Amino acid sequence: MSNYFYDMLPAEEAAQLKYIPTVPEFVEWIGKQYAECPAISDTQVTYSYSQFCERIARRRAFLKQQGLTKGAKVAIFDRNSLNAVELFLAAASSGCVAIILPSALPAPAVVGSCMRFDVEAIFVRDEFKPLTEGVKAKVFPADSIADETAPVVKVDKEDPAAIFFTGGTTGAPKGVVLPHRALMRGSLNGVFAPGAQLKCHKTIGLLPLSHVFGLIRGTMSVFYAGNLYVTAEDMKATIGKLPAIKPTCLVLVPGLCEVLLGLTKMYGANFLGGQLKTIIAGAANVPPRQIEAFEQLGISLLGGYGMTEGANLSSGNADVKSRPTSVGRLYPEQEGKIVDGELWIRGDNLMTGYYKDPENTKAIFTEDGWLKTGDLARFDEDGFLYIVGRIKNLIILANGENVSPEEIEEPFYKNPCVKDCLVSEGEVDGEKVIQIEILPQMPAFEGKPWSEVEAFMNKLVGEVNATLPSTHRIIRTVVRQEDFKRTGSLKVSRNQ
Amino acid sequence: MNKEEILAGLKEIISIVKPKLDLQNVTMKSQLVSELGIDSLSMLLVALAVEEKFKIKFDSASYFNTVEEVCDFIIAAKK
Repeated sequence: MSNYFYDMLPAEEAAQLKYIPTVPEFVEWIGKQYAECPAISDTQVTYSYSQFCERIARRRAFLKQQGLTKGAKVAIFDRNSLNAVELFLAAASSGCVAIILPSALPAPAVVGSCMRFDVEAIFVRDEFKPLTEGVKAKVFPADSIADETAPVVKVDKEDPAAIFFTGGTTGAPKGVVLPHRALMRGSLNGVFAPGAQLKCHKTIGLLPLSHVFGLIRGTMSVFYAGNLYVTAEDMKATIGKLPAIKPTCLVLVPGLCEVLLGLTKMYGANFLGGQLKTIIAGAANVPPRQIEAFEQLGISLLGGYGMTEGANLSSGNADVKSRPTSVGRLYPEQEGKIVDGELWIRGDNLMTGYYKDPENTKAIFTEDGWLKTGDLARFDEDGFLYIVGRIKNLIILANGENVSPEEIEEPFYKNPCVKDCLVSEGEVDGEKVIQIEILPQMPAFEGKPWSEVEAFMNKLVGEVNATLPSTHRIIRTVVRQEDFKRTGSLKVSRNQ
Repeated sequence: MNKEEILAGLKEIISIVKPKLDLQNVTMKSQLVSELGIDSLSMLLVALAVEEKFKIKFDSASYFNTVEEVCDFIIAAKK
């Protein structure tokens, strides 16, 4: 077992931390281990761990009363609220399979996701209720809670605990099925950072709970360590309250780190509350300049590597000063090797597969249980991992969103004035953005000046942008006069 | 506060959010996303800064295409 991570903690904390393989055991353990410590707050009300776990037990009783027992798929459609966190833990500790829907999901995708994942019941925030019309599942308010309590339900560590969306922007995302052992391994991995970590931090759930990084590192690891979690139903409003909340640790994506740096430039370092010592950043590459900028504010910015299929946390880097471009070392019980330049990982953090998708599941796993990450990587002589590129065709933005270029290209191909197009990762002012290059169908513009062709394409991009989620919009447009490089079958080559 | 004063204030904010942008190119008609490159997270920073500077509040459903639309919202909110 790697001591790199255990050695980061004070000895007495390292001795206390043990791997708990299922969510029901975990919920019982935190209720006893941290009973009197503050667990969760929506800034109005704060519950101790024993109160929190009692509320989870009352939610379990509600699930049971509705006939939602072991194996039932239960969706949660809410913002990052107290209700959503309690519902997630109640469902998973009842043996149900929890599916947290992204709060920005449009109505057809809500209906589609519920059908795709065989959802039996959906717990909905009041304001989202109109979006659930047409859902063929029982619909309950997100604040549903019983008066009495129900005990946790014993599960096997291989039983599914949750399903997360990955790799899709529209109606047909893949569902990553994480068993209890994976969810809990990822949650334990997230506790490791230099210095004391148990019962001494206050953090805010700023990242979406529907994202594996927001749920596992941003939420579950916080409870694993007995720390205080502040919910953030409205990201903007909560960031505005940072001076009052005074967090000591935040879990962010690099795009949000940039927002915080911008705020400190405008209003000074005190805007972050004056207590912030650590930021854990993930879901996208952490630029070394951010590490430096936070260092000047006395804040350690720690990165790592992971993917949804691996319960998010495969490696972590506490040596950001000496190795700012590394994603760190592999967590305990995580194996990794490089095969033809590609990183393969194996360990109890891996998913069991994509939901009802044996083809893609077979494609990503080897027969002896290695998961092919699709990332090109190398290890240095001290075991530090470096991600150097990607095999799979996916754009990963600073906000952690994974964008599939083909899905953005699709509407352009429907326009008769577009001959070909290519969506890729571009750069504007040193920031990674989504860009599109469009080759016009020139006969359609015969006799028209080039400026008119450009204006037409810019307008088209604007129209397509209006239909895309705000995080997936095209920022840079290039209208090409020269043809693309093409493959042997005359398709547009992705390597221009 | 007139529209020109608000534009000057917005430019000040944009210069911090997008330090490499040539401010001469920022006009009332500038498209926030496709011309100024303000993505959803930059927009969050702009929104927080505008709220602080102009002492107004955006509601979560606010959506703006151009600089002018932001100016008009600020003027309406300050009335």
